[in-house]
Amino acid sequence: MWTLAKKILLHDRIKFAVASAGVSISVMLVLVQIGLYFGFMRTASTLIDHARADVWVTKAASENFDFSTPLDDRTYYRVASTPGVARAERMILAFAQLKLDSGADLGVQVIGIEPHARLMAPWNVIDGDVSRLGEPGAITVDASEWDKLHLKDVGHRTEIGGVRARVAAVTEGIRSFTTSPLVFTDLISARAFTRLPDEAENYVLVELAPGADPARVVAALRRIPHVDAYVADEMSARTQEYWSSRTGVGAGFFMTAILGIIVGLVVVGQILYNGTLQHLREYGTLKAMGARNSAVVRVILYQALISAVVGFLLGGGLAVGARAAMAGANLSVALTPGLFVATAIVTAVMCTLASLLSIIKVLRLDPASVFKV
Amino acid sequence: MIPATSSTPPLAELRGIGKTYGTGEHAVDALVGADLAIYPGEDMIIEGPSGSGKTTLISILGLLLRATTGSIRIGDREVGQLGERDLPALRAKTFGFVFQGFNLFPALTALENVALAIRMKDGKAKDPEGQARALLERVGLGPRAHHLPADMSGGQKQRVAIARALGGDPPILVGDEPTAALDTKTALSVMELLRGLASEHGRAVVVVTHDPRLERFADRVVRVEDGRIESNLPRLAQAS
Repeated sequence: MWTLAKKILLHDRIKFAVASAGVSISVMLVLVQIGLYFGFMRTASTLIDHARADVWVTKAASENFDFSTPLDDRTYYRVASTPGVARAERMILAFAQLKLDSGADLGVQVIGIEPHARLMAPWNVIDGDVSRLGEPGAITVDASEWDKLHLKDVGHRTEIGGVRARVAAVTEGIRSFTTSPLVFTDLISARAFTRLPDEAENYVLVELAPGADPARVVAALRRIPHVDAYVADEMSARTQEYWSSRTGVGAGFFMTAILGIIVGLVVVGQILYNGTLQHLREYGTLKAMGARNSAVVRVILYQALISAVVGFLLGGGLAVGARAAMAGANLSVALTPGLFVATAIVTAVMCTLASLLSIIKVLRLDPASVFKV
Repeated sequence: MIPATSSTPPLAELRGIGKTYGTGEHAVDALVGADLAIYPGEDMIIEGPSGSGKTTLISILGLLLRATTGSIRIGDREVGQLGERDLPALRAKTFGFVFQGFNLFPALTALENVALAIRMKDGKAKDPEGQARALLERVGLGPRAHHLPADMSGGQKQRVAIARALGGDPPILVGDEPTAALDTKTALSVMELLRGLASEHGRAVVVVTHDPRLERFADRVVRVEDGRIESNLPRLAQAS
């Protein structure tokens, strides 16, 4: 049956090419759209996912990680003294304007961290000395933002929020969801850049004491007035959930992916159905000669699966190519093995569904019809 | 060819077969009270004008169409009331069909077309390709086994179709105008082949045709008119 299915498909190479193109475009759309979505979501929670904090403490009712309401140092001390907390570090995350060489301003997201911070620090440092972040105005900038910020080298001087800043180190692959470049500095410089009052911060990061129960510590932290606390995984998921559902970003990506599936369904369905109509007399002859419906249906299903496999391989290749092309535009397409497996299953289901009309046609085919020329 | 005698049990027998299409005032009687017996080794031709009921008759004989009235026996078994699930296996075991339009898969070679039918008839068939090769040799197409239908003449395609019909060694071959699309010389050679096959293994060949030239290949000629079998005679008797 495989041979028959393969030969029927390949007999008309143009039709097969169209079917394969339909499936591969569909697969590429699904992979790239969902990969972009995953990429964006990873980016949205990248700071949380790279931090070593077990628990994040934030102002109550702060919905968005990037736009949180500040806490004050009294909260920090109460957090630090809560049973089960081994270490607490303050963190600032706020927006400021960086002065470009041209004189224009560009929004950046400033991350202020403690001197000798252990729970949050820049990662993937490729140049400079991150230990100098404690010096006044010292910042790190990601290499991907280098041109955008008109920076020339480590040691480059600029202004953020009207305060002098100097590039102390360069990182790689630290990008923000908000598209504003992420700039690491120490707490004092961050407050100066963002004009936050002294003793204000946005988050307190917590390292649990060995053996401490995260749920009990979180419950204890939530008893501090006007404070919310989340374990790191929950904080990450909450951040992704916000951007995904509150902004419609997720719906947009998935709608395009669904459109891709519909395109594939229509193209493959139409090609298979035409092929079935073209061979209706032959299928009828086989049924007249005693072939069971299941045998004839298998021939059509195998055609659908062959289209799915060829389309998936081509579409997967196109998606990998698209990821490389998009990396140049600072767009992250997260093509995970799980996404490939899920898309392969979706493709097989899509092609099987596309063959349903053909299958119904063959099942309803009266073998006596072959006597009618 | 050895004409069957009344002492030989028939391979298939239709008794009092009627077929009505539609209902009420739109009902059309396509076949009325048809009796027909197919004997081993017999080469039967069914003739009659268009719309006379020939195709309905062989469709019912081939278990492709259910009769409205009457009984059908295959061997000593009454099969008229069998369920749809049982019919494909019985058809596969009993009948091979040959059609005017050949109905070969254009993407498959002659060998593959025949082997496919063998495999479809019996999923456990041993060496379908070997069987298909032997059948193509039998119809004189051994050297063309690996050709596609598009590269063959009409006569060669019909021979492939005959080889395919022989897959699984059915005792009855049913042909619906198998020579209608062929020139006279080719048509006669195809009928010669069918006649030769009827003499093998007590196989019966039943051919529906409009072509009176083919009568000379028949042991028995059945004439159908207005849904009734008007005559059912050995050819020589008919000629006299």
